Amino acid sequence: MTSLVAVLILTLFVIAFGAGLLYLVSLVGPKPKFSSLKDASYECGLPAQETGHSKIPVKFYLTAILFILFDIEIIFMYPWAISFVDFIENDMGLHVLLSMGFFLFVFIFGLIWEIKSRALEWE
Amino acid sequence: MDMTTILFYILAIAIVVFSLGVVMTANPIFSALFLALTMVTLAFVYFLLNAPFIAGVQLIVYAGAVVVLFVMVMMLFDLKQEKEAFTKGKFTGFLKIASAGWLCGLIAGAIYMSTEMVVSGNQILDVNKASTKILAKELFSNYVFAFEALGILLLLIAVGAVSISRIKGGTHAK
Amino acid sequence: MGTDFFEISINFVKMVAIFLLMVQLVPALVWVERRGSAFIQNRFGPNRVGPLGLTQLLADAIKFIFKEEFIPSHTRKFLFYAAPVMSLIPGALAFGSIPLSLPFHVEAFELFGQTMGPYRFAFQSFEMNVGIVFVLGISSLGAYGMLTAGWASVNKYSVFGALRASAQMISYELALGLSIVGILMIYGTFDFADMIAYQTGPLTFTWLGSEMTIPFLPNWGIFYQPLGALLLFIAMFAETNRAPFDLPEAEAELVAGYHTEYGGLKMNMFYIGEYGHMMVASALMTTFYFGGYNLPFVEPETINEILLAAGFSATKASLLTSFTFFLVLFTKLLIFLWIFIWVRWTLPRFRYDQLMDLGWKKLLPWALGNTIVTAVVIFVMKTWS
Repeated sequence: MTSLVAVLILTLFVIAFGAGLLYLVSLVGPKPKFSSLKDASYECGLPAQETGHSKIPVKFYLTAILFILFDIEIIFMYPWAISFVDFIENDMGLHVLLSMGFFLFVFIFGLIWEIKSRALEWE
Repeated sequence: MDMTTILFYILAIAIVVFSLGVVMTANPIFSALFLALTMVTLAFVYFLLNAPFIAGVQLIVYAGAVVVLFVMVMMLFDLKQEKEAFTKGKFTGFLKIASAGWLCGLIAGAIYMSTEMVVSGNQILDVNKASTKILAKELFSNYVFAFEALGILLLLIAVGAVSISRIKGGTHAK
Repeated sequence: MGTDFFEISINFVKMVAIFLLMVQLVPALVWVERRGSAFIQNRFGPNRVGPLGLTQLLADAIKFIFKEEFIPSHTRKFLFYAAPVMSLIPGALAFGSIPLSLPFHVEAFELFGQTMGPYRFAFQSFEMNVGIVFVLGISSLGAYGMLTAGWASVNKYSVFGALRASAQMISYELALGLSIVGILMIYGTFDFADMIAYQTGPLTFTWLGSEMTIPFLPNWGIFYQPLGALLLFIAMFAETNRAPFDLPEAEAELVAGYHTEYGGLKMNMFYIGEYGHMMVASALMTTFYFGGYNLPFVEPETINEILLAAGFSATKASLLTSFTFFLVLFTKLLIFLWIFIWVRWTLPRFRYDQLMDLGWKKLLPWALGNTIVTAVVIFVMKTWS
């Protein structure tokens, strides 16, 4: 509980630090002078052809979705990992090892299937 | 009121405000960012309820993965036309009324059930470091079938996602 | 945070000091990076301003502060300003939860006629008993700063930089999360302080039913999980978006990635975030595999007793002991930070498909194999002993 208060206070402090710094710095610098060249979005010497909203490959979303799925599977391994030795000492070792073995088998099967189906290929 | 209760109310109010932000801002990006804030605050509530591992999972999976996906999707599509399609028309009106009614029902149900609930103290286990181990013990004894089924379910979702991404044509393919 | 005024104020000061340590290390690291890269590439680097170019840092800071505050009018103003601040938070919170030294004890003393009870202060901003899960969760929030910066800039380079950065970050988060499962099995805890306590003394393990001790090696995680350590370190490079994984800011393709439109202090804040990430990565490597703040073959009690014998009061001795071990951790941290810089200026950049292949098809299967082998070995060793 006390550490939670500390986390919240540190978060607020960092936000205040960053925002305060940005505000203070905006006071001391030279006043911005507008010019249409400065105002244009960054491009290598030519007028910009397109703005930020071009369509992007569906690959990125696929990567993100696959990441979420694998991430959930990995999260399930964490409580298993830290109590594995306890399980062995309570004679549940083989049961737990085999349950996780099946889970990992499904995980590995999924990974191999995705590699084979070229879902993870980038051109 | 002790510290924990005060902190809980602060976090609860923050969650309500952020969730209202999700549904009330017109810009989908702001909605998604508010959703991320809601998830993070919810993780803090889990910390407060002495479930630190669940809180960490909430941060990693929801705030760090699911909402990142939402933000990625929304940032890279120009959602002007889709927004129009979802704010006008009879079908959308019906959807709005239906979901509002559903929400009212949920709230009423939650209030009704919370009056039935019996809260007894002293049920909190030795939570500090043992809670994750208790969770693991439950997971691998009583819920081991659900755990394995979840693994297969995740595999099926992965297969489905890959198949959908393969469909050529449509508005957003390639 | 504490029960009385003294404890709360000390805790707050400690928290701010650790945050400022992180921020203040950035200019020093920038100097090391510039001098180091010059050394590696047989150049001079900054050497005109002050001795060894050290005051170059000050000049840079002043330049950052006095920059003209101009942002293009087509950007999304609020998020454009919010993104640099957002990128500061994950590093600061994650670094705050890593123990930097032993906790120190303050004996009871009199203040304004009241007895202030004995205190124990941890050498970290807050003690999280799920340490590593919290750090992983908080670091995964780093994607928001980059995505917001990219979207708010309304520039195709920024958008693609943000997109690449977040896709790369989430891909390597898998390898990162999986590479530590093996060592978690050995430690049996999420708590950093417990992990460090496990790594004291000489290397001891059970082999075929008999306990073996190797007296000249410390009991560090690296000797149990060398492959896990390597995988974690590689994944950390990608997580921090550093070369050879700095595809998001590949200047030949994307100008400067998601912070193309930023200048002055706002861009500097992204750098603080990046270096903060590096510090968290180094601290995690140290805590997991290199004994944390442990100094091999030196017990904290010994140092405490020497200090007590030298005539220091109990409070001062405890404080000095903690500080000694903080210096040990800090040295290890600096070694890892130097490796980060060294690698950046030695290896060339990957192509994007090579980067994704490395994450998904090499690191992830290796980490899986590491987990399975560790589980089987632990099971066999514990069952037949």
